[in-house]
Amino acid sequence: MGVRKRCKVWYKGSGVCAHLHRLTMVGKEKEKVHMSDDAQLVNRRFGRRTFLKATGALGAAVAISGAGNVLLQKRDAVAQAAAPAEAKLIPTFCAMCGPSSGCGIMAKVVDGKFVGIEPFPECPTNKGKNCPKAHAAPQWVYSPERLKYPMKRVGKKGEGKFQRITWDEAITLIADKLKEQKAKYGPESLAILSPARRSYSDYLYRFLMTHGSPNYGHSGICAMQRMFTFSYTIGGVTSADYTNADLIVLWGVQPIYSGSAKGGVVKLVSAKQRGAKIIAIKPSMEPDAAMADIWVPVRPGTDAALALAMLNVVINEKLYDAAFVADWCYGFDQLKDHVQKYTPEWAEKISGVPAAQIQQVARMYATTPKAAIDLSNGLEHCPSANDAIRAVASLMAITGHLDKPGCNVWGGTSKMPAPRSVHLMERYTKEWVDKLVGYEFPAPFQPFIEGTSCSLYRVFDSILTEKPYPIRAVIAPGSQAIASTRGTKRIIEALNKLEFFVIVDVARTSDMPWADVVVPVCTMYETDHPFETSGNWIMARNKVIEPLGEYKSDYEFWLDLGTKMGYGADWWNGDIKKHMDWRLEPLQMTYEELRTKYPKGRDYGGNPPEYQQYAKRFSAKSTRIDKGPYLPEGKVALYNTLFEKAGFNPLPEWRELPEGPTATPELLEKYPLLMSDYHTSKTYNAAWLRHVPYLREIEPYPYLHIYPDTAKARGINDGDWVIVESPHGSMKVKAMYFPGIRPDTVMILHGWWQGCQELGMPDFPLTDGGANSNNMYTTDPKKMFDPIITAMSSQTLVQVRKA
Amino acid sequence: MATQYGFYVEVEKCVQCHACEVACMAKNNVDLGVRWRRVSSIWGGQFPNVTNTSISLSCMHCAKPACMAVCPTGAISKRAEDGIVVVDRSKCIGCRYCFFACPFGVPQYGNDGTMQKCNLCLDRLGDGKEPMCVTTCPASALHAGPVEELAKLASTKAATRLAGATQPSVLISK
Repeated sequence: MGVRKRCKVWYKGSGVCAHLHRLTMVGKEKEKVHMSDDAQLVNRRFGRRTFLKATGALGAAVAISGAGNVLLQKRDAVAQAAAPAEAKLIPTFCAMCGPSSGCGIMAKVVDGKFVGIEPFPECPTNKGKNCPKAHAAPQWVYSPERLKYPMKRVGKKGEGKFQRITWDEAITLIADKLKEQKAKYGPESLAILSPARRSYSDYLYRFLMTHGSPNYGHSGICAMQRMFTFSYTIGGVTSADYTNADLIVLWGVQPIYSGSAKGGVVKLVSAKQRGAKIIAIKPSMEPDAAMADIWVPVRPGTDAALALAMLNVVINEKLYDAAFVADWCYGFDQLKDHVQKYTPEWAEKISGVPAAQIQQVARMYATTPKAAIDLSNGLEHCPSANDAIRAVASLMAITGHLDKPGCNVWGGTSKMPAPRSVHLMERYTKEWVDKLVGYEFPAPFQPFIEGTSCSLYRVFDSILTEKPYPIRAVIAPGSQAIASTRGTKRIIEALNKLEFFVIVDVARTSDMPWADVVVPVCTMYETDHPFETSGNWIMARNKVIEPLGEYKSDYEFWLDLGTKMGYGADWWNGDIKKHMDWRLEPLQMTYEELRTKYPKGRDYGGNPPEYQQYAKRFSAKSTRIDKGPYLPEGKVALYNTLFEKAGFNPLPEWRELPEGPTATPELLEKYPLLMSDYHTSKTYNAAWLRHVPYLREIEPYPYLHIYPDTAKARGINDGDWVIVESPHGSMKVKAMYFPGIRPDTVMILHGWWQGCQELGMPDFPLTDGGANSNNMYTTDPKKMFDPIITAMSSQTLVQVRKA
Repeated sequence: MATQYGFYVEVEKCVQCHACEVACMAKNNVDLGVRWRRVSSIWGGQFPNVTNTSISLSCMHCAKPACMAVCPTGAISKRAEDGIVVVDRSKCIGCRYCFFACPFGVPQYGNDGTMQKCNLCLDRLGDGKEPMCVTTCPASALHAGPVEELAKLASTKAATRLAGATQPSVLISK
C-alpha cells in the first residue's frame, strides 16, 4: 500500500513516475533524462526525509550539500574492481594534493591498472586515513584530460592548435629558444612560475640559478606571506599546540579542507572532544567554524582592523604579560601609543564584528594561559595582510603565548639528517637580487626562505609594461595563471604578447591555448622518484603503473632540460638515479637502499620539544644575503626597525581594501555586497581537479555562498544561476543559500574554469560570464598589493542578480 | 537476538570532508551519479547565531527492511549471520519498489538499472577489515560493527538509535 501511495505523490510532484516508467522499460534501453529525474528524487529523499524524520534532534533546518548534483553519464574510465586476491598493493604516496604531500597510500593495482587505494596505517603522516581526493586518484590518472605526448603550437596564440612532437624535440625546442633569448636579452628574460606542487620547486630554482635568472614567480598569496611576517616579527614560524591548548583560535585557517588526512582534522576534533574552547575568525561558517564555541564573522580582508583593536583591548586593560614584554619585546611603548586610535568601536565599523565581541575574544585569549592561534591563508590576500599578521604575532607575544605548551610553539626537531637540497642558495649575491624583474618581498629582504622571488602577477605585468625589462619566456610547471592569479584579462593580454610560453603539466590547464610548447609529465603514480619526507620519516616513492604516454617525471624534465642547455655539470648530466643518490648521501644510503631496506619508510624519531627558548628563537639567522638576524634587537619586533629602515611603517596599521563598505561607500549603491573567495576546497586543489568525476559530483558547480535573506531580497532561489558583477568583471555562477555567512558578504571558491568530460559538463569562459573569481578584482597596483608582502587583494564589491 | 551489524555516527566529529562518500564511490566503483553514502549539511538559526552540523549516512541495514518486504523477485535479503541487507542484482528487475518503500531513499540505480546500495563492504568485513568509509574517515567519526558493540562504544555519549518502523541499525551521537 505504502508504495502506491508514495508513487502517486511522486508522480504529481515531479511529472515523472519512475515506478511506472521502470515497469514499462524493463529490458529496454533506458533514457537518461528519466534516470536523471529519478536520481534527483533519490537525492531529495535521501537528504530531507532522513534528517527531518529520523534525526529531528539535530536541527530544524536542512540543506542538502551538493543538492542537484546528479549527472548520469557513461561509465567512468576506471577499470572494474577485481577480486582482492588478484590485487597488488604498492606502498607509495598520494599525489592529489598541491602544496604539501606525503600522505601514504597503498595503491591497488589489478592487471597493470591503478584501480584504487587502500589505507597505509604505518605512514605517520596520515596513519591510514585519506581524504576524498586520494580516493579519486585513478580517475585523475586515466582522465581524458591527460596530456599524452609533447606538442608544439601551430595555430595562433590562444587558439589551442597543436602538433605532436617527441620528448627530445620538445626539450631541444625549449633549449634552443632559451639559449637564443639568453644571448639576445640576457638570462633574466626567463621566468618560471611556482608550481602548485611544492616538492619540485627547488628544481625550478636550480634551473634558474644555472641559467642565470632570479625570476621565480611565486603566487604572492600563499604561505610565504605569513612566514615572512612571522619571521620578521617573532623570529620564526610557530605552530598552534592543539594537543595542550585550552583555547584555540582558528584565524583565517581551514584545517579541514587543506590536507584533511594529514593531522589537521585529528588535532581539531581531538581538541574539541577533550573540551578545548574554539574561536573561529572567518567570514563564513565553514565546517571548522561550525565546531567553534565562538564564531567571529569578520568581513573579508579586515583582519588587521580586528587584530589592532584586540591589541588595544589587551594593552589598555593591562591583560598583557608584563614580564615577557619587558624581557623579550622591543617597542612596547610605541605600540601602546600607536594602537590607541584602534578602538573596538573603530574596528567594528570596518570589520563588521561587534565591539563587544572583539573585547570578549581579546580578553578570552589574553587571560587563558594555554591559548594558541592557528593563523593561515585567509589573512594573506589583502592590502594590510602584513599588518594583520604582525598584529596577531604581537598579540601572541605580549600576552606571553609564545613557546609554551598549549600556545604557539616552535616544536621539536627531527633526528633525521636532512637530505641534500637541490636549491643553490649558496650562490645568491646582491647583484642577483638586483636583477629581479619585480618583487614578492622588497629587495632588502631577498631572498626569503624559498629563494629570490617576484610575485607571479608582476612577472606578467613586466611583459606589458616592459619595466624594468620585459620577461620574454615563461615556463609554467604545474601553474595556471589565468585561473589562479588576479587580473585575468591582464594575464591574457600578457600571454598574447609573451614571446615564448612553455607549459609542463599532467593534464590540460586554463593557459594551455597560449602555450608554444606543451610538455606532458607523468603523475606521481607513474614514477619511482623522488622520496618524500614527513617530519622524521622518509620513504622512497614506488611506481604504481607504467606511464600512459610519451612523457617522463617533472624531475626528469628539469634534468633533461638542464643538460640540454649545457648545464650538465649541475644537473648530474641527466642521470636521475645518480641525482637521487646524491640527495640521500647525508642519510648514508642510496635511493635503492632506501626503497629495499625500508619498503614502508624509515622513522628516525624526533627530539622532544624545548620550550621558552627565547634567546635562541629571537636570534634566528635570516635568509637574506647579509644573513643578519630576523630580529636585530634579539626581541620580538613590536616596533620593526628593519621595516622602518626599508621605508615602511615600523608599526602595524590599517590599510583599506581596494573596494569595500568603508573603503568605497560611494560604490555601495551599485555594488552593495562585499565579495571574496575561498582558497581551499574539500575536493579540489586551486584550479585543478574539476575534471575528476567523483570529485565533481561532490561539488558540481561554482556556488556563490549567499545569506538566504540577502538572496531572497533579490528574488534569488537556492540553486538559481546568478550574475555577479563587480566594477571589474562578472561571473555567472549558482547561488547557494548559506546561512553561515555575513549577510553583507558573498564568497565563492576560486579556480573555476574546467569542465568535466565524463559528466558532460563544459568549460567555463575564462573572463566575464565565466566563474573565475580572479576576474572580479582590481589590478590597480596602488590598491591591490600589500606594500611589503604582495598579498594580492581578493576583495571587491558586487551586485548579485538572477541570471 | 541474532547479531545485527550497523553504523554509529559521531555527528559532532564529522568535519564534512566527504572522504567517506568518495571512498565509497571509488571502492565500489559505482556509476557516475550513484551515491551509496552521502554527507549532508544541516543548518539552524539566524545570523549571527547560526549552527551547522552534518551527518554521513548510507543504507541503515534495518532490522525490518521495507525494501526487502516489497521486492517482488526476492532480490533483497537480510543475512542471517549479521543482519546486513544485501541485493542479488542478478535477480533484480529494476522495478524500484524498494526505492519507494525505503523511508530513507537509499536504493540507487546505475547504468544497468538494477538496485545497488551499501553492503557494509562485505568483502572487506570478510577479510577482517572495516568498511572503506569507516577506515578512511580522517575524524574517526564513523564506526561499523554489531549494534550491541556500537552501543557500548556510544555509551559515553548521549547516542540514540535512529527510530522508525523499519528499525534502522544506525546510532547517532547527540
